Parts: sequence; C-alpha cells; structure tokens
Amino acid sequence: MATTADQFQAHAEEHHHDADHKPSFFARWFMSTNHKDIGTLYLIFAIIAGIVGGAISGAMRAELHYPGIQHLGMLVNFLGGDGSSFDQQGHMWNVLITAHGLIMVFFMVMPAMIGGFGNWFVPLMIGAPDMAFPRMNNVSFWLTVVGFCSLLFSMFVPGGTGMGAGTGWTVYAPLSTTGSVGPAVDFAIFALHLAGAGSILGATNFITTIFNMRAPGMTLHKMPLFVWSVLVTAFLLLLALPVLAAAITMLLTDRNFGTTFFDPAGGGDPVLYQHLFWFFGHPEVYIMILPGFGMISQIVATFSRKPVFGYLGMAYAMVAIGVVGFIVWAHHMYTVGLDVNTKMYFTAATMVIAVPTGIKIFSWIATMWGGSIEFKSPMVWALGFIFLFTVGGVTGVVLANGGIDDNLHDTYYVVAHFHYVLSMGAVFSIFAGFYYWFPKMSGRWHSEFLSHVHFWMFFIGVNVIFFPMHFLGLQGMARRYPDYTPAYQYWNEIASWGYVIMAASMVVFFVNIAYALVAGKRAPGNYWGEGATTLEWSLSSPPPFHQFETLPVIEEHHSHHNAIREAPRTA
Amino acid sequence: QATAVQDESAANVADESLPQEAQVEGSVSADATVKEKSPSFDYYGPDMVKGQPESGAFGFQSQHTDDGLFALRMHNALLLPIIVGISVLVLFLLMWVMFRYNRRANTVPSRTAHNTLIEVLWTVIPVLILVVIAVPSITLLARQYKSPPDDAITIKANGYQWYWGFEYVDNGGFEVISNMKDESQALADGEPPQLAADNRMVVPVGVPLRIQTFGADVIHSFGVPSLWFKLDAVPGRINERLLTINEPGIYYGQCMELCGARHAYMPIVIEARPLDEYNAWVRTQPGGMTVAEARAAEAAANAPATAEPAGEEIDAESSGIQEPESSVLDAPGAGEPPTQDTSPTT
Amino acid sequence: MAGAKNHDYHILAPDIWPVVGALSALTFTSGMVMFMHSDFFGDAWHVVLGLGVAGLIATFFGWFSKIVNEAQRGDHTPVVQLHMRYGMILFIASEVMFFVGWFWSWFDFSLFPSVISDVIGGIWPPESIEAVMDPLDLPLLNTMILLCSGTTVTWAHHSLVHGDRDGLKKGLWLTIGLGILFSAIQAYEYAHAPFDFGGNTYSSAFYMATGFHGFHVLVGTIFLIVCLRRAYAGHFTPRQHFGFEAAAWYWHFVDVVWLFLFIVVYVWGGWGAEVH
Ligand code: HEA
Ligand code: HEA
Ligand code: CUA
Ligand SMILES: [Cu+2]
Repeated sequence: MATTADQFQAHAEEHHHDADHKPSFFARWFMSTNHKDIGTLYLIFAIIAGIVGGAISGAMRAELHYPGIQHLGMLVNFLGGDGSSFDQQGHMWNVLITAHGLIMVFFMVMPAMIGGFGNWFVPLMIGAPDMAFPRMNNVSFWLTVVGFCSLLFSMFVPGGTGMGAGTGWTVYAPLSTTGSVGPAVDFAIFALHLAGAGSILGATNFITTIFNMRAPGMTLHKMPLFVWSVLVTAFLLLLALPVLAAAITMLLTDRNFGTTFFDPAGGGDPVLYQHLFWFFGHPEVYIMILPGFGMISQIVATFSRKPVFGYLGMAYAMVAIGVVGFIVWAHHMYTVGLDVNTKMYFTAATMVIAVPTGIKIFSWIATMWGGSIEFKSPMVWALGFIFLFTVGGVTGVVLANGGIDDNLHDTYYVVAHFHYVLSMGAVFSIFAGFYYWFPKMSGRWHSEFLSHVHFWMFFIGVNVIFFPMHFLGLQGMARRYPDYTPAYQYWNEIASWGYVIMAASMVVFFVNIAYALVAGKRAPGNYWGEGATTLEWSLSSPPPFHQFETLPVIEEHHSHHNAIREAPRTA
Repeated sequence: QATAVQDESAANVADESLPQEAQVEGSVSADATVKEKSPSFDYYGPDMVKGQPESGAFGFQSQHTDDGLFALRMHNALLLPIIVGISVLVLFLLMWVMFRYNRRANTVPSRTAHNTLIEVLWTVIPVLILVVIAVPSITLLARQYKSPPDDAITIKANGYQWYWGFEYVDNGGFEVISNMKDESQALADGEPPQLAADNRMVVPVGVPLRIQTFGADVIHSFGVPSLWFKLDAVPGRINERLLTINEPGIYYGQCMELCGARHAYMPIVIEARPLDEYNAWVRTQPGGMTVAEARAAEAAANAPATAEPAGEEIDAESSGIQEPESSVLDAPGAGEPPTQDTSPTT
Repeated sequence: MAGAKNHDYHILAPDIWPVVGALSALTFTSGMVMFMHSDFFGDAWHVVLGLGVAGLIATFFGWFSKIVNEAQRGDHTPVVQLHMRYGMILFIASEVMFFVGWFWSWFDFSLFPSVISDVIGGIWPPESIEAVMDPLDLPLLNTMILLCSGTTVTWAHHSLVHGDRDGLKKGLWLTIGLGILFSAIQAYEYAHAPFDFGGNTYSSAFYMATGFHGFHVLVGTIFLIVCLRRAYAGHFTPRQHFGFEAAAWYWHFVDVVWLFLFIVVYVWGGWGAEVH
C-alpha cells in the first residue's frame, strides 16, 4: 500500500557491502540485535514447538481413536512413572492436553505471528532500519525459549497423581493448588511467567517501534494493515498479560506460602481465579488471531492486485475487537454460577464482537471483488482462512448465548470452535504468511506445487479432524476425557483418521522447506509482482543485513487508496 | 425390566494406582456400598433410558425439560440456520469471486476501495441478526434462572475426586454415593459403559427440583446433556438451579470440569420417577423420609421456634440464587471420605 | 550512500546479556521451585537460586552499564530518547495492570467477604483479624514520606533542568533517604503487624499487594541511587537526562500505587476494625 515496490529497488541493490557485514555465527544467533535474525530465530522456534505440540496432539488422537485407554501407560513409563497405574494414566492425559494447549498457544502461535512475522516485517513495512529496542528484542526471544524449557522440566517431575502438570492450559484452582502437589505445576507456572515477561517486553518494543519509527510521511492511516494488527495485538499483550502474571503468582503463593486467594477455607474463591485468568484469556485469543487478520489483508490485496477495501474500517475494526475483547471474559464461565444479569450482559457483549469481525470478512471479499485474482500458494491459504475462520467464528456466536452454552460448555463443541479459529484460523494465516514471505526471508523459492499439495491435504485433514467434533459436542461428549462411552466412537475414529491426513501434509511442508533451502531458485526482490506494494518488496530477497540506511520517504498525496497506479517517484 | 442396579461394583476401575488421599476416598466409598439391604426397590431397566448419546448422531440429545426444549428449538430453528446461512453465504461469495474475478476472467483489476452503502449494510445487518438472536437468548436465561418455588425439593450434588454424592436435603439428609460401574458390570446390566453408575440419583418427575452443587475438593461440574443442565460444583460455594424433569426415565450425565486423573470416570445417572415411587424409594434409604415427614420432624424438633417449611438454610436460598451457605470445612465429605451413615443402600 | 547510516536510530552491536539474562531467569525460577520443594530436590536450591540471583544481578548491572555508556557516547539521539520515553510509559502501564490484579482480589474479598469460612465470618476485616494497622499511624507517616519524596524528586528535576547540579544531588539524596526510610518503616510495620502472612484473604491480599509495592519501592530506590551516582559522575545535562526522568516517573508511579493502597487497603479496607 504505502509505497511502490520498485521505488527503492535501485538502491537496495547497492546496499550490500557494509550493510551486509554479518557477525560471526555465535554472535549472530546467540547475541543478536538484528530484527530479521531474531525473527528467524522465533520462526525456527515456533516450528519446533509446532512439531512438539502437533506430535502431542497426535498421541491424543491415537488415544481417542478407540474407547478405553490404549497408549497412555506407555507415555507414563516414558516420563518415569508407573504405566500400569490407572490414575497415572488418567493424569498423563491431563498432562498431554495441558502441554498441547500451552505449547500451541504460547510457544507456537504467538512466537510465529508476533515474534516471527512481526519482528521480520513490522520494521520493513514501516521503513525502519530495526526495532526500537534491539537488545530487548533478543531477551524477549530467549525468555520465550527458557519458558519452554521450564514447561518441559515440569513434565519430568511429580505433579500430583503422576508426573507433570495436569491442570489444563487454564490452570484452574484448586486443581492447580491443593489438587496438584509436587513441583510440576510450579515449573509450569514459571514457564508462563518467563514467556509472559518476554511477551510484555516484546509488546513494549512493537508499540514503540510503530509509533516512533515510521518512515517520514507514513502516517498511522497509511500504515499497512499487518502493522496495524501488530499494534493492536501489542496493546492487548501489554494490558492483559500482567493480570495473568498476578493471577499465577497468587497460585504460586497459595501453593507454597500459605496464602488463601483461592482457598475457601481462608475465605478465598476459586472463581476469582477464573475471572483473573479469563480477563487475560479472552484478549489472548484475539492476540492469536489479529496478526493473522493483518497478514490475510496483505495477501488478499496482493493477489487481487487491488488495494484493501475499506482500509480505515479494517483498521478500526481491529481496534474495536481489541477494546471489546477486554469486556467479554466471563463467557468462559457461564456455568460457574454467575447471576442472571451478569450472564445476560456477557451474552450481549460477546455477540457484539461478531460485528467488527464481519466487517473484516466482508471487506476481504470486497477486496477480491473486481480484482484480478491469482491463486498463488499464500492466496489459497488466505481463502481457506476466510472460510474456516468464519465457520469457527459463528460457532463462537452460538457459544456466546449463556443459556445455550449451559449445554455446550466443556464439550467437544467448544473444542471444535476453537480449533476452527486456531488450528485453522491462526495456523492457516501462519502458513499463508509463511509462503508469502518465505522467499523474501530466505532468498529462495519454495515449490508452489508442493505448497498447493500441502494446502489441500491440510485443508481436508483438519476439517476431517475437527468438523465431527461439533457433533460429538452437541451429543454431549465432554472435553479433557481420555476415554469415552462407545456411542462417541464413530466420530472420534473419523477425527483420528483426519489427523493422519493432516500429518502427511506436514511432511510435504517440511520437504518443501528443505527443497527450497537446498535447491530453491533465487527469488528477486519483488517476486509477487505489481500487487505487492508494501515496503518490504522494495528490498532485495533476502533484504540486506541492515536495511533502510537512508529512510524511505512516503509522499504526501500517496496513500493506500491509489497505491499502485499513482505511484510517485521519490528517492 | 427392573434389573437391580447396585452394590459391589466398586470404585470402578483399577484401584491400585497412587497413594493420594483421593484414592483412599475412592476405596472407602466402595466399601461403604457393600452394606445391609433395606427394603428392595425396583429400579428402571435399560429400556427406560431417555437421555444418552447415540452413535453417529449429528445434533443435540433429545430434551426432557421445558427449558431444554425451548433451548433446543432456539438452537435448531434459529441459531443453526443463521450460522449455516452465514457460512454458506461466505463460501458462496468466495466461490463467486474466485470464479468471476480470477486473473483469466478479469485481467484488469478495478480500483474500488470504498462503497459507503455496502459498508453500512454489512454493519447494520449483522447487528439486526444479533438482536434477533439476543431476544430468545435473554428469554432463555430468564427462564433458567427462575427461583425455585417453596415446595421445590432440594437435592445437593457433591462432587468428590472422583465420584458423586447426592444429598437429599429435604428427605432426611441421607447421601447417596455414586461410583461408576466398571465396563463388564455396565454391559452385563445392559447399560452404556462409562455412563452407568452403581447408585443412581433418584428424583421425582414433574416436581420442581432445587439442584444444588458443591465441590468437596476441586471443581467438578454436574452436567446432564438431555436435561440441558450444567452447573459447576465449586469448593466454597453452593450453586443452585431449578430443574423440572418432564418424563420418567433414566438420564445420563458426566462430570464436565477437569478435576484430575479420573475426571472421565465420574458419571451421573438420574432416574426420574413419579412422586409416589420416589417417596417409596426415599424410604429405602437410611434415615430417608418424604418431604412431609421431614418437615413434620423438623417442626417437632424446633417446636418453640417458628416452623420453617424446608429447613432454614433453604429458605435463605429461595430469595436469591447461589448464596453460599455451608462451610467447606464441615461440608459433608469435604477432605474426608463420607461416613457410613450417609452412604447409600439400595 | 551505500552502507552509510543516514538516520538517527541506534543500531546495536550483538550483545551477550540478553541470553545470559534469560538463562539466569530460568535458573532463578528453577531455583525457586527447588526451594519450594526442598523435600523433593534436597538442598541444591541454595546453589541454583544463588546462581540465578547472581546472574540476574550481573545482567542488570552489565546491561544498564552498557546503556549508560551508550548514552555518554552520544548514541541516544533525540529520537532514541523518545523511544525510551515510550518504552518507560508502556512498561509502567503494564505494571499498573499487574497491580490491577492484586486490587481486584482485594476488592473481591472485601466487598464479598466469605460467609462460609470460619476465619472470615462474613465480615471485613475478617473475624480472625483481631486488629488492623491504624492507618493514621505509620501508614499515614509513610504516605507523607512518599508524598514528600515526590516533591524532593521534582526538586531534583527542576534543579537539573536549571543546571543546578548541587540541587540535583541534594534532591536525590533526600529522595533516596526518604525511600529507604519508607522501606524501613514498612519492614518495621510488617514485623509488628497484628496478623501473620497468609491463612486468610485479608492477610494474603494485604501482604502480597503491599509487598509487591514494597518491592517496587526498593527497585525505584536502586534506580535513584544509580541516578545519584551518575549525577556525581556528571552524566546528566539540562537537556539530556532521560535516565533521571525515567527514575522519577517510576518513583511517581510507585507513589500513586501507594496512595491507592493507603486509601483502599489501609483506610477503607480496615474501616471499623480494632486498630493496633
Ligand atoms: C483465535 C482464537 C479465537 C477467536 C478469534 C475466537 C472468537 C470467538 N469466540 Fe472463542 N474461544 C477460543 C478461541 C477463539 N475464539 C478458545 C481457545 C476457547 C476455549 C478456551 C478454553 O476453554 O480452553 C474459546 C471459547 C469460547 C467460548 C466459551 C465456550 C465455553 O467454554 O463454553 C465462547 C463463548 O462465548 C466463545 C465465543 C467466541 C466468539 C463470539 C468469538 C467471535 O470473536 C467470533 C466472531 C466471528 C464471526 C461471528 C464470524 C465472521 C462474522 C460474520 C461473517 C458476520 C456475520 C455474523 C453474524 C451476524 C453472527 N469462544
Ligand atoms: C493454536 C492452538 C492449537 C492448535 C494449532 C491445535 C492443534 C491441534 N489440536 Fe488442540 N488444543 C488447543 C490449541 C490448539 N490445538 C488448546 C488450547 C486446547 C485445550 C487444552 C486444554 O483443554 O487445556 C486443545 C485441545 C485439543 C484437544 C482436546 C483434548 C481434550 O479436551 O481432551 C484435541 C483432541 O483431539 C486437540 C487436537 C488437536 C489436533 C489434532 C491439532 C492439529 O491440528 C495439530 C496439527 C499441528 C499443527 C497444525 C501445527 C503445525 C504448525 C507448525 C509445525 C508450525 C509452523 C510454523 C511456522 C510455519 C512458522 N486439541
Ligand atoms: Cu469431576 Cu471432572
Ligand atoms: Cu473468549
């Protein structure tokens, strides 16, 4: 949008000499102060976490393939417990879902979207040489890594009924306090502290960068929508995470130092924990999708060869989602015994979010309307995103009705809902962004053919996994069960077969990356052509180690409305 | 009909496991089940099952309360068509632009980036749709939160790691401890594994029930899909909700809040019987008596004081909902296994 | 133009402190877990926790020394200083939200005192709190001390802006002194409090909220001490002294949190109770 692609190309080529002088291996990857390298580290980390979290979900799907307990004992033995103990098997399940949820949320989606793509492309898109606080950027990354380590430690120490923290990713008291003796839950809590601290510092960094380092002439209203999305996300992180930090600190002191925040005997209230958790938790789900919204906007515009439809509406819809996201948290708590007025309020407030979200969905379609659409790999993922996110979103609206949620809460309907918005919404946008920018980041082309194969197999796979979960949920199948009555077998078996399809597609993905890195064709600066108008396309692929040593200037009359045709010539 | 549903099926599954206190509780309650049999009672057989999941089904379980029917209708006639419609509309629009505006069909992209009318429309129409949803939604909530009438019968569901205790507050205060039947027992009795329990929560049909829930150790949740009923059992507070079951039958439910290792193995079996049969059942329980008898006994005990209709703590409840009223510390079963005299006999 | 930096942003050289800091943080938290579960881990926590704390202190020291050096070297151009302003404001905003969590629990407990817990008894302050601290005694004194320190730090700032180095040092000395006095009184108050840590919601929320505030006072005091050293080293100029301003902002933030604590926890939260 903000400027044309070829505008700075001429200079980009010359930048290479000093600007490309890279530090030695250790200094470059362990002491980095370079936003692109840190972004790369985040992406690699996210992929590793995605493999771990995805493998855990594979173990879960294997277990749920049939009623009864089949594989958990083996895993218990692996963690050093007694695999023949029925209670340890049940606990193992809870450890798996806890690890899966936490890893996917905190160590896959957030690092990929914000740490990875945010770090790489926010500075590039606003025409900045780096982030505002490069050194702090690095500590954000390493704090995420050590948080992950702390979570891994937790799996190998006692957590109550067996090894590991089996509290669910929501860590509800009193299951997480008096209900889980042993160090595992403390390690898990500290994992959240560490990763949370990293994210808060990262949020500070992004907000400062976006407010302060935009290239001359780039007003807020000329900023690419991806940058807008990261800005809103960073505010959500900044304001929501500290409340989680307080809540889990209370867990810690309740567990170890005799406070009674959540202990009824001392006047505490387990429901207070849920309020504090979801005051963070609901904004958190938008933290996981807003950057995806941003990426989809860039991609849809690029491949329709049209500017984004209703740019301002798009930007402010994200702001609205962020703001309203802070006042709907108790829709996760409809069955805890809220009073009727509270439930009515949260029902109404929650449904409101469908409106700005709808504006986004329809504006994407309107962007394509009248466009000249090219079905390159990022675009097919984006199209998949728009449809599947809508499916996930509308089931959210069903759940928003407090009276209806009485039957659906804690069933697989909820699991279906949030995997449609996460494992399809967030993950599809991550893959869309990945294929969009991979040649930019690596300088090499992936195979478009394999990317399409990956897409179709993944698309079919995840739908086969998660669509039947709606039926299971409507029929009353509860979440967080390793075992179920045979009536639920039919759909569970199908879901588990879907996992196999999805897993095969991931093999294609990794083959594709390996191919690109080893034998991929070199990618030019702007390989998507005239639809790609943001500033990163004005640089070489990969961009020089330090870009924009002379800041680009965005002309006064130049805006997203006429990004392509009336491109000014500046230098 | 009338297979006896009861006894020795112990704390269901493998008992060896861990040395947690919870484990001890489990086994004690199991022992407690083995006991002297009071006058026998004919329990419903599997042919009376009205609420259970079906293999390969797509929608909700059939509903057996008025609120459940209302909610089911709201979902099936309103919410489902709306969400399917919206999804299909989005899918259709995507297909259309893919077909009509792909690079071959449309080589020169338009530059339109604004259309105030359409932007207003896609803001206002969703708002209207949401208003249409909100009206029955609020109505449903109001119905679900009707205060129980004075003659409602109070039954308290206590969640323990990992079994349920049903306390018949207005019928003499006995507590029925309910453990899952193991798979072979369930199959032998013609019941679905993992949903069947040794002792059922027997309730009168057509009578307003004041269901209270309470968590003795961690949070559990009392969920019965075919009655559209779910209420968390939280330590330190008593939750309360009205429930009136329309027809006699067996309704299966399960624990619906993660509560530890055997979260999946604490089913709920509600057996709804006509009031007279309910009263007959109550008499088979230790200290069990009909509501009228219980009130008379209460009145006699409190002779000088003004007689409270259903015990003072209940009365305090009927005005508001969920006033916590009993102490966790001395709530039955909290932190220790239930004592012999509150456990069930059947 | 090739390779020459034509902007005022601060491009940093690679640095080891972030990874050292993160590893130290992990060592520290792991040491905490080992300390809390010494029945399981034995005594090794002494070493691990010690290493973690040492690593964290080293990191803060090393990291901030670098920032100071960079500032002295002139790397902090006006736009970089603006970054730091934003960064500090946002950091303080996140701190505010952290305290929101503690106040939330305080309000929950005090507005809806538990009727089922014997130690609370449905009243606030709870049954088991025989006496609370007299808000008009040491807490009021502490309020005065902090308010005073707010003015002294402003005095220091004004002196600095007007090139009065002497005033700057005096103001800082006074502020630090008042900060230490506050902490000392707070410690004395804890030691003589009529109720223990934990066991009921009042003392849980009281100690955690005031304790975290106290921790922030300590951090703020250290921050000011660093500024004092830098003042002696002649670091600040009337036009460029963001290090000082950040410390002052932080100090004011700590001050405001105290005012809320004083009103909500000490005065309102103890209303009607026996005072100690
Ligand atoms: C990316 C993450 C993400 C996103 C974006 C959302 C989006 C939404 N969610 Fe979801 N949600 C989760 C992740 C997410 N959720 C998770 C992880 C949980 C479970 C947590 C746990 O318990 O472990 C959860 C649980 C959850 C619950 C609690 C269920 C329960 O536990 O009982 C509820 C209830 O209200 C809810 C509602 C919504 C709503 C209304 C939206 C809305 O924002 C959706 C808006 C979008 C649309 C509606 C589609 C597009 C709109 C149109 C095409 C316009 C026209 C539409 C209408 C007029 C309806 N969600
Ligand atoms: C983003 C979040 C996310 C994602 C992607 C997934 C992905 C998957 N989830 Fe998960 N899930 C959760 C979040 C997520 N889940 C949460 C929060 C819970 C609740 C936990 C709780 O109850 O406490 C849950 C619970 C949950 C359950 C319910 C367990 C229970 O209640 O008993 C099940 C059951 O089948 C399940 C299955 C799966 C499967 C098969 C996938 C598959 O789709 C997995 C396939 C793998 C991927 C799609 C990842 C691939 C990505 C990469 C390899 C990284 C790529 C990165 C770059 C390109 C940079 N999940
Ligand atoms: Cu009890 Cu789950
Ligand atoms: Cu939510």
